[in-house]
Amino acid sequence: MGPRFAPMSEPHSKGPAVVALIGSLLGLVFSYSSTVDYAAHLDRRLHDVHCSFIPGAPPTSEAEACRAAMYSPYSAVMRDSIWGGIPISVFALGAFAFFASFALYLLLARQKASRVNVLLFAAVSVTPLIVSAIMFTISVTKLGTLCKTCVGTYVASAMLAAGGLMGLRTLRPSVHGTERPEGQPLIAVFWLVMLGVVTLLPTIVYAASAPDQRPYLGKCGELKKPEEPSGALVKFRGSRAVQPALLFEDPLCPTCKALHERLVGEGVLERLDVTLSLFPLDNTCNWMLSDQSLHPGACLVSRAILCAKGQALQMLEWAFAEQTTLTAAGKMGEPALKARIAQRWGQGLADCTDSRDTKATLNKHLHFAAENNVPVSTPQVFLGKRRLCDEDTDLGLRFTLKQLAPEVLQ
Amino acid sequence: MLVGLATGALLTLGLIVRVHGAVADAKDRLLTPETNKPAVAIADQSEVGYCTPRFKEVLERVLHSCGLVSGEGGRRGCQPSDVKTFASISDSDFNELFTPLKNRGAVVMYDEGKDDLDANEKKLLEDMWFERKGARYFFVVARASKTGTVDKNRALSHRRANSVLFHLKDVSKDPEIEKTVGLLWLGNEFAQLSKEYCGWNNSRPESKCNEEVINRSAFVSWVDCRL
Repeated sequence: MGPRFAPMSEPHSKGPAVVALIGSLLGLVFSYSSTVDYAAHLDRRLHDVHCSFIPGAPPTSEAEACRAAMYSPYSAVMRDSIWGGIPISVFALGAFAFFASFALYLLLARQKASRVNVLLFAAVSVTPLIVSAIMFTISVTKLGTLCKTCVGTYVASAMLAAGGLMGLRTLRPSVHGTERPEGQPLIAVFWLVMLGVVTLLPTIVYAASAPDQRPYLGKCGELKKPEEPSGALVKFRGSRAVQPALLFEDPLCPTCKALHERLVGEGVLERLDVTLSLFPLDNTCNWMLSDQSLHPGACLVSRAILCAKGQALQMLEWAFAEQTTLTAAGKMGEPALKARIAQRWGQGLADCTDSRDTKATLNKHLHFAAENNVPVSTPQVFLGKRRLCDEDTDLGLRFTLKQLAPEVLQ
Repeated sequence: MLVGLATGALLTLGLIVRVHGAVADAKDRLLTPETNKPAVAIADQSEVGYCTPRFKEVLERVLHSCGLVSGEGGRRGCQPSDVKTFASISDSDFNELFTPLKNRGAVVMYDEGKDDLDANEKKLLEDMWFERKGARYFFVVARASKTGTVDKNRALSHRRANSVLFHLKDVSKDPEIEKTVGLLWLGNEFAQLSKEYCGWNNSRPESKCNEEVINRSAFVSWVDCRL
């Protein structure tokens, strides 16, 4: 007589619980990795982030999708009151720990597990998948990128949900006629409370342990000469502007694009009266980069923004939106880049980028940076005369604004 | 069920310890000054090879003595006696200092006894002005030839320096130009140019050039030095 294999959906099958357990453990690993990466940034230093489908793979410096997700407004809650907020991954951590333990129980208890428990597990096991679906939609529609660690969590959530739902088929009577015990309905309430407690405990510990960042805010320098005397800088005022802000930006800098998206996403940009000092990291116009152009073509795109006059913000946002193609064109040379600009904004504007006055105006932007001895990096944000530290413009943006310019968040 | 509960309790406890540890580690690093903090370049005006200590010393004296750095207004430029006094430098050494600016600057030529700029001179001047790059200061060193009296030539070179400044004001519309342009007028008393300067970029490359002609001029250049 050959060995007997129970199909996964047979009442006494271990399959659903095993799938749910593996999904939970995977979710635990991915969310732990995200949480540790997030927590590391609380020291206000630069860190590589883990961004791999392989749990535990070493961090790399090329993890921009994960960094974009981390810095986005959607990666954490309570950003106003805690620097960086509480990452969603900490909630996931607790939840996956609960699901892993429950799945282990179902695996070991098999037919002894009550119907109530199996039903409850099926019901709650889909919650991570629902959250994952929401986060996936946000990633695709708002961030335009998918972080590998996040995708790992989505897959883990799907496995967990699959295991939980497949478990429903084990509620049928077995071929041996053994029935599951019904169980007390009140136990469901107990498990729900436990799910809440286990989910919240790491969150509470994270929030309670987070360092006080207030002493460090706004300690990254001041403008020496806040006014550009010839009025060369670009101005755009948000529809509900309450706070003057000076931005140093490079239209082909991915971090500037990410900051701009955060400012728009958080509803901050419309509350700012922005002065924009263009600071292209391209040595065709910027003498401060002697050996290398970090963003070839950025000088030309900056001049195009100056030529756009009243449409400077639209031009900047176009440059951010088309950053990948503009960067590629910039590497091919000025004619290719100018053709892209002419195609979208007309030949007149493309010609304007070559004018002596436009070049002189961009030069004034660069001299404004030099006069103020700002770091040679982009983006930089100044509220009034005070420079926000780089870390306070990404993870700590909302907290910093709440502390230094609360009216911006109202 | 007990196994599940125990596993859950252990897992939760372990996670709490790890989460607290990760946050506490970050807190420790936050409170500890970063020793290997990567150096960040600071934006500044350009500084090139010819900015030797001697060159910068003279430059600094010019800037202070000619009213650029104080920004108090009133006094604009330096006349020959000033230059002799503050520069503490011989004629030839003074000219030698400007040699590295051969390719950065140009010589605006004038007719004898004149201080007005024709189209060529204006164009050359504008070409020089708009090639600023990272320079902080623009120097105008006006001269006059040996023909005529010392006083007359001193006044003439002063007018020549001013003609440059006035044209630059017109084309640049820069309200801070007074803090950028350093004027020196040397008349025919100090640091006359030798004939070899005829080979420098000038506004009349087709015309005959000699020692008389090259000194009816204003040498203009951005200076890529920090002070």
